[in-house]
Amino acid sequence: MTAAAETVPGEPPHAHHWSPVNAYHGAKLGMWLFLATELLLFGVLFTSFAIYRYTYLGEFHDASLKLDWKLGAINTAVLILSSFTAALAMDAAQRGNNKRVKNLLLFTVACGGIFLVVKYFEYSHKYEIGLFPGVECPVVEAGDAHHGDAHHGAGGHHQEYCWPKDTSALSAEQKEMLVSNKYKMYFGLYYCMTALHALHVIIGMGLLSWVCFLAARNRFSEQYYTPVELGALYWHLVDLIWIYLFPLLYLVD
Amino acid sequence: MSAGAEGVEHGEKNYLNHETTIWSWLTTVDHKRIGLMYLFTITAFFIIGGLAALTMRLELARSGPDFMTPDQYNILFTLHGAIMIFLFIVPGIPATMGNFLLPLMIGAKDVAFPRLNLLSYYVYVVGAAMAVVALLNPIDTGWTFYAPYSTQTKSAVILMTGAAFVLGFSSILTGLNFVVTVHRLRCPGMHWDRLPVFVWALYATAVIQTLATPVVGITLLLLIMERWLGVGVFDPAMGGDPVLYEHFFWFYSHPVVYIMVLPAFGVVGEIIPVFSRKPLFGYKMVCYASLAIALVGFLVWAHHMLVAGISDPSAIYFSVITFGVAIPTAVKVFNWVSTMYKGSISFDTPMLYAMAFVFLFMIAGTTGIYLATLAVDVFYHDTYFVVAHFHYTIQGGAVIGLIAALHFWFPKMTGKMYNEAIAKVAFVLVFVGFNLTFLPQFVLGMQGMPRRYFDYLPEFEELHMISSFGAVINGFGYTFALVNLLGAWIFSRRKATENPYNSLSLEWQTQSPPIHENFRETPTVDDYPYAYGTPVEGGGH
Amino acid sequence: MFRYLPEQASKVAPSVDWLHNWITDLSVLFTVAICGAMLYFAFRYRRQDGVDHETPRIEGSNFLEVLWTVVPTLICIWVGYYGIVIYQDMREGEEQALVINAVGKQWIWEFQYENGKQTIGEFVVPVNRPVKVVLTATDVLHSFFVPAMRVKKDAVPGRYTSVVFTPVKTGEYHTFCTEYCGTSHSAMLAKLRVVSESEYERWVNDRSQDLAKLTMSPAKLGARLYEEKGCNACHNLSGTRLVGPSFLKLYQSETRKFADGSEITFGEEEETIEEYIRESILYPGKKVVEGYPNGLMPAYEGQLTDDEIKALIAFIKQQDGSAATEESEEDSGEDLQAKLAAMSPVERGQYHYQNKACIGCHSLDGSNLVGPTFKGLYGKSGELADGESYTADDEYLKNSIWDPNGQIVAGYQPNQMPQNYKDQLSEEDLESIIEYIKTLE
Repeated sequence: MTAAAETVPGEPPHAHHWSPVNAYHGAKLGMWLFLATELLLFGVLFTSFAIYRYTYLGEFHDASLKLDWKLGAINTAVLILSSFTAALAMDAAQRGNNKRVKNLLLFTVACGGIFLVVKYFEYSHKYEIGLFPGVECPVVEAGDAHHGDAHHGAGGHHQEYCWPKDTSALSAEQKEMLVSNKYKMYFGLYYCMTALHALHVIIGMGLLSWVCFLAARNRFSEQYYTPVELGALYWHLVDLIWIYLFPLLYLVD
Repeated sequence: MSAGAEGVEHGEKNYLNHETTIWSWLTTVDHKRIGLMYLFTITAFFIIGGLAALTMRLELARSGPDFMTPDQYNILFTLHGAIMIFLFIVPGIPATMGNFLLPLMIGAKDVAFPRLNLLSYYVYVVGAAMAVVALLNPIDTGWTFYAPYSTQTKSAVILMTGAAFVLGFSSILTGLNFVVTVHRLRCPGMHWDRLPVFVWALYATAVIQTLATPVVGITLLLLIMERWLGVGVFDPAMGGDPVLYEHFFWFYSHPVVYIMVLPAFGVVGEIIPVFSRKPLFGYKMVCYASLAIALVGFLVWAHHMLVAGISDPSAIYFSVITFGVAIPTAVKVFNWVSTMYKGSISFDTPMLYAMAFVFLFMIAGTTGIYLATLAVDVFYHDTYFVVAHFHYTIQGGAVIGLIAALHFWFPKMTGKMYNEAIAKVAFVLVFVGFNLTFLPQFVLGMQGMPRRYFDYLPEFEELHMISSFGAVINGFGYTFALVNLLGAWIFSRRKATENPYNSLSLEWQTQSPPIHENFRETPTVDDYPYAYGTPVEGGGH
Repeated sequence: MFRYLPEQASKVAPSVDWLHNWITDLSVLFTVAICGAMLYFAFRYRRQDGVDHETPRIEGSNFLEVLWTVVPTLICIWVGYYGIVIYQDMREGEEQALVINAVGKQWIWEFQYENGKQTIGEFVVPVNRPVKVVLTATDVLHSFFVPAMRVKKDAVPGRYTSVVFTPVKTGEYHTFCTEYCGTSHSAMLAKLRVVSESEYERWVNDRSQDLAKLTMSPAKLGARLYEEKGCNACHNLSGTRLVGPSFLKLYQSETRKFADGSEITFGEEEETIEEYIRESILYPGKKVVEGYPNGLMPAYEGQLTDDEIKALIAFIKQQDGSAATEESEEDSGEDLQAKLAAMSPVERGQYHYQNKACIGCHSLDGSNLVGPTFKGLYGKSGELADGESYTADDEYLKNSIWDPNGQIVAGYQPNQMPQNYKDQLSEEDLESIIEYIKTLE
């Protein structure tokens, strides 16, 4: 059993240095570890959100009302559906049905696409009404709405950011709220969390497309379906994170 | 034994010469070559970081500004810290010696995901390039990037934190790879209780790398968003809290200390038995201690913040748990020393470094007790005492561990022997220089000298002068050691045998340097690698 | 062994040091024992003549493992316990403590007392009374460290933290900033003066410095602001460059070349040097002179009044390199002595009236400020707070200046006037002031 004899032409000699079964378990272990790192990645954002939501209950509540929970709900349904089809694809792969794998994964990727489109409309709507991450804004003078904030602008280092682009349609109260710092922080976190999640959706779509491509070339069998399983695992994680994000950002009262 | 003589026959292929083009190196997925590439890269950064340190010490030798401005000094200590932490010592032992040795020690042909391993190296290179650009741009926040200074200063914070994020990604991939390797690729007979302690240490390290790094990654991303978009999470003007940044940062950056030093523990655990011809005393305890340190290391982060404005109950909690790290560390030290009892001890250079390590780590560990003790930490926090303490841990621990490992496995890596006399001279210079540099800094801390000071009160001058003098000697020591090793590799005609130190662990049971596939046949193991000496009554393990 | 800790100037210091020294002794004991054992083994069991001798395969000892797990654990529990107890002692006396607010800014410590007194870079506390320093910061993190008191705490923007200590020795002690805060971090020092209770009372109620500010010439006020606002950390007066340009001849140089390549010659263009300096103080980032880094200077917008900016400009203008002007501004020096000697007593009295801060509280126009007006004071009679009557003759005025609290006129508060004129004025000076008052009818 010499190593050189095992080498497949065109492949690096070390790529096939372990048995298929071992490779399967190894790859799965690696994926689970990777998912653990992803959870920790989002964990920091969830922690920040939890802390500030607790601290600035009122502002965060008011800010969350600006989100359209219906759009969020549609996206949730789309992602859950896509997760289900990803699981079905995995099942099909275990049975060696490459065609079914391909179709189911195409559907899953399409769902990801729908999710992104909806997200795009949500983002662009917020941009329209001026709820975008800090850009210097000449309309509202810096510091106008800061009351009793002793530390604001100290040393003049802080860029003052403001959100409303067109404030004409808003009531005085809403205007006040719009330039409130904590309100801005809510949207800061909202954008960070959803954008990072959207990035994961895009990566997941890329990953599944590649698996789809492999399925189209009939690469999977009852003995070999590791990429489908790993891809589906990753997609489940993307789905899972959204299932936490949705109620946290849109629903929690 | 005889295999060793064959191994160095002319024309014998090994991992270094089976392919020789530069392209074959750049695209290699061989863990040994990747380990070497890491080694050369981090050594370059060690030299840069070291020169930065020397320049600072020269400035600090005398009170008052000598040849730089406060800003240049601030840039310099940021450069020193960031390079030494992110570019040198975090990849340090795991990515160099770990990459090279892990598969050899468990009888595998490579790590679990060889291509991922190469990717991880290139991710490191990209991160390093970003970091270099950022550091020269320059950046003056210190390596900790504390908000809100980091969100206000006009330096290249975004690029540097971006670099740290990318480097973190590399670290995660390496850790993940190692965990799977240890789980899945042990050769027949290599049960968990037969793993070399270095592998145990690498395993514990890899777990930390995998689980702690994402936290700092996202934290630094948040910092970038803070600077770029004004999210406000760490900005008091927006209602955010700078202390939260410290929590997130240290949640990674405390465990990272164990990423640096655990592998060094492993190295010492390998060296002492070989040169004492004795089994490692309390093998299981040593292994468990590694895991315990990794675990407890996750729970103590806020001891970096005991005076940062956290509440008294949390200060008390973190102080108490911090002592929990001291115990397994002490257990390790006791076991190493006991290993030497009734041994047959030879004083080759690796053994000298290992013994020095024990001494330096005793000081590092006991000075850690002061800092864990709440009332005393209030006095010592952010003083030179802390500077001296963590240099004893990181330089006296991790760097000395790396140098010891380099000397110990040098014959295996290169197939050559180095000049023992020069190596010993270098050892003396490193040891004396190091202590001369940092022992005075403990005293400075006791007298109340704060850290990160460009200038200081005249009463501190004498000790600073001694410290600077020591740093120069220390620098000469490292230069000697590195030149000696590099010179031996290029010029030495003394070929190494397969197993020059008569070690029992697997990596020595193949030729020096190893063949591309590590072993001609998959090895089988029937005992743990420390079965030295004559069996005695009641000595079972 | 290894006793290098600074002076024990607070109540808690001896117990901190006691624990510290215990840890030191235990550490030395363990280090010597373990490294001693290691060296002994190394010597005793060294390989001789390059030949291995037989070694026993001792793989461990459960007894020893338990022993060296339990013993360090017990020691750690003991040390940790006292660490916590003493840490809690550090808050002792918090409730009845004297409260001082300290604000860390790049790169000064500013202290505020309850009566409104403000100091920069120095604070004074009475001995044997608990002091609580409430900390915050306006820009970045700082940390407040008084080694002799064994206290330290970060000053965090947006938060209030505090340290409590009870000084037990009078004297002067260093205060450091121990959290890295930028360019002049190492220069962010303050002086703590621990004085007797009575001296403290006098000091904290001595507002003459604040009042004197109101009456200073702009250039003199500028000189004070130059130190108080921390300008001196980056701009010196000797002509050498620190972080920023020196103030020497800054006003007098007519051209500037900026980092963006533009140039300005004052006088030719519309912008005057005053406008330029004013802008540079308030918004330092707007025009950065070539060769200087941008972003280092804090913007002073909102931190200086218009008068203060004018004063600073006047001060900068004064730094024209003629050393003579500087000296005459200083109230000391032989020239001044000679000048004073040449004056008539009334003139000298007028000089003291302006320079010893009388002017801050005693008007010349008949209006009563903090103290009674000097107009028509001489020879006036009335009632004291204790019911006695007085006549403002030489003797009475003399006593009032040297010991103001000795006789308080009805309707005025004690402790308003500085108590230390006895140290500041000679008999002759005093008489000259009285002569001066006599002229104010």
